[in-house]
Amino acid sequence: MTAFRAWSFPESFSWSGRTAEVRCEPGGGRIAHPLLDGNEARALAGRIRTAGEEVLARYPVARIVRVLGRVGERFLDPGDRLAREALDRLPHAVGLSAAMAERVLEGMARDWTVGRLRSLVEAEFPDPAVLDEFRPGHRGTRIRALGPRLGLHVSAGTVPGVSVTSLLRGLLVKSAVLLKPGRGDAVLPVLYARGLREEDPELAGALAVVYWPGGAGEAEEALLEEADAVVVHGGNDAVRRLRDRTPVTARFVAYRHRLSVGLVGRGALDGERGAGVADAAARAVAIFDQRGCVSPHAFFVERGGQASAREWARTLARSLKRIEEALPSGPLLPEEAAEIQQVRGTAELEAAAEPGREVHHGGGDAPWTVVVEPGAGFTPSCLGRVVRVHPVDRLEEALEALRPVRPHLQTVALACVDERRGKLAEAIARAGAARICALEDAPWPPAWWHHDGSGALRSLVRWVDLEP
Amino acid sequence: MFDELAGDLIELFGRGVDAPLPDDEFDAWARRVFGFQFRSNPVYRRFCVGRGVEPDRLESWMEIPAVPTRAFKRLPLVSGDPDRVEAVFRTSGTSLGPGKRGEHRVRSLALYRASLLPSFRAHLLPDDARLPALSLVPSPEAVPDSSLSRMIGVVFDELADGGEWVLDPEGGIREDALRGALAEAEAEGRPLLILSTAFALVHWIDAMDREGWRFRLPEGSRIMETGGFKGRSRTLERGAFYRALEERLGVPAHRIVNEYGMTELLSQFYEPVMREGRSPADAVPSDRRHVAPPWVRTRVLDPGDLSELPPGEPGLLSHLDLANAGSVAAVLTEDMGVEVGEGFRVLGRAAGAEPRGCSLAMDELLGAAEEGR
Repeated sequence: MTAFRAWSFPESFSWSGRTAEVRCEPGGGRIAHPLLDGNEARALAGRIRTAGEEVLARYPVARIVRVLGRVGERFLDPGDRLAREALDRLPHAVGLSAAMAERVLEGMARDWTVGRLRSLVEAEFPDPAVLDEFRPGHRGTRIRALGPRLGLHVSAGTVPGVSVTSLLRGLLVKSAVLLKPGRGDAVLPVLYARGLREEDPELAGALAVVYWPGGAGEAEEALLEEADAVVVHGGNDAVRRLRDRTPVTARFVAYRHRLSVGLVGRGALDGERGAGVADAAARAVAIFDQRGCVSPHAFFVERGGQASAREWARTLARSLKRIEEALPSGPLLPEEAAEIQQVRGTAELEAAAEPGREVHHGGGDAPWTVVVEPGAGFTPSCLGRVVRVHPVDRLEEALEALRPVRPHLQTVALACVDERRGKLAEAIARAGAARICALEDAPWPPAWWHHDGSGALRSLVRWVDLEP
Repeated sequence: MFDELAGDLIELFGRGVDAPLPDDEFDAWARRVFGFQFRSNPVYRRFCVGRGVEPDRLESWMEIPAVPTRAFKRLPLVSGDPDRVEAVFRTSGTSLGPGKRGEHRVRSLALYRASLLPSFRAHLLPDDARLPALSLVPSPEAVPDSSLSRMIGVVFDELADGGEWVLDPEGGIREDALRGALAEAEAEGRPLLILSTAFALVHWIDAMDREGWRFRLPEGSRIMETGGFKGRSRTLERGAFYRALEERLGVPAHRIVNEYGMTELLSQFYEPVMREGRSPADAVPSDRRHVAPPWVRTRVLDPGDLSELPPGEPGLLSHLDLANAGSVAAVLTEDMGVEVGEGFRVLGRAAGAEPRGCSLAMDELLGAAEEGR
């Protein structure tokens, strides 16, 4: 397979044409990327900023929604050539199996449709016309919401599609967007930008996508100076590095390391319901091979239900085994496989030493691993479908165990009887979580979710008040 | 039962590293050690049974289930009474705190010494020299649970012409003492044996540069260095590291020997540069490999399914060390390596890396918690 050309520039932008190639591990795909110098990067920034001011400003937000959504919908049509190329490339780029790549694309692109984008805008702005003009606000003040003139979006490479979601959010608030995707997530935004150039070349002039190995380089320095907003999806180190180099005058929006867990109440363990919950739990672990911030690291399962937590863990293991057939795991890096061996072997020895502990895994065939560890506690998973099950007397103990990871807690997937949901939700919210959902929904937060606790669009805009 | 086994092993190790131990003999020894451990270590026995392996149904020693190094952090892996041990070695502390240090309970220090001495002699003293020694590793009195300190203590006692610990109790180099010892050796023309961690030597290189000190240690001086830099000093590429030592101490690279050891194994691996009488041109770090004594066998495994890889393919290093008779002999490491000739080259740490994805390494988690305080 040829190297994927990991950039999309407005047609009017000229550059040296010099490129370099990198490999995506462990998928094995190769991507070619431009070697822009500082001047070229500044010129590119200027070009798309101008297009943004000329085109985005002129388009009503409703029209932007329609244009962006129509391009997004192409990724849901398996016959469309953008979707086909995406599915050809994704497994090698991000290291997912073909079946999983297909499932992930479907899940992500669902949020890129006209309907979902409209809902997102309406959820964030009860009166979306504030993005077009001054509108009535509180007590006679008229209000207007303006996106950044140029947003530099830097996204991670672990979950494909996150970068597209990020660029859509920027364009929706009429910000020109320069996106630098992570290495594993360069395919979708480049294809999206290509689709946008076909759908509306004028609007597409406000978008550039370009990969470069992050961390340094003249281009990155220049763009950090040019952007008036920097949006980062990445690990804490990446966030820290960019935050330290972003001018104080620029808006800095970070989506940093997060982790998620599942809570299973005793009422959800009855017979068929228990099996259904285990299956949903297994699916939540398997999607993205557990590399999403929404992927559960551990399940806390309450004692005293019809099935024991250990029985439930065995059902979970059987579900993971079954899912491995339909949605196989992607390849692992040697260090990831080595880590799983350490986790498994150690858990087997601990199970041999202490009653109540158990470990189930896919052996040499599959990385999925379920470790039953009695009592509340929390160890971050090494990922790749490796999950701990903690039997607890009361779910509230789980929240206590999660205290050390409070700053990182994101999704808490909850399965319990309806009567307990409200009270538990309150406690989970206080424990630091940003999202509480059913297990089956865990991998797929809706487009309009408060991503990591803030409004995804509102965090980008500047409000202007026109007082009476 | 253990005493008899240990006694026989001590006799075996006493034949030295040159005495050949053919495959079938090694296999017999490994089976005997495994049989003992299976009987006297119920946790390990259940682990093996869980993996479908029992001594009577063993085709080859290669089937003996290896315990991951991580397990030493969680369980006392003694074959016998865990409280009746002669020493406890612990891995160096990490940011995870003392509770998470790996622990190797040692039933017989005599067996430990019997393993370490022939290897050390073969690789650092192939000329049977008896040299005054300096250690840039804390003494066993200062760090009683360090296997490296203990090892150097044994070397001082048995193989050196006196030894000096040149670290203060806080672990800093006593610079005047070290400088004095080096200057004296230079003046008297007496070759030295220096034993150190790599990071302590980097600190010493920096100190020498700061003070403008240079030494030309007499011909025959040699250095054993071990361990990585582990964030405890600046990191140097090994070629540059050895050049820096040669320039400042006058010890050429072919007399600088890397030792690769781990708390979880009671035997050590060395680069055979001195033993093979390598010429200076032949001792460049990229051409080096580590070799084991005959009573240790190393396999390179596919990290995915733990099957053995063809020679030359990089994989996980798994060792069977007969000197571990009192604990568990088969140990799966977190290190990647590749088979090279009769030995292997370590490629680096595989496990414990930051996972791909929205997660975080434990260190980062604790770092963040600290930032939050």
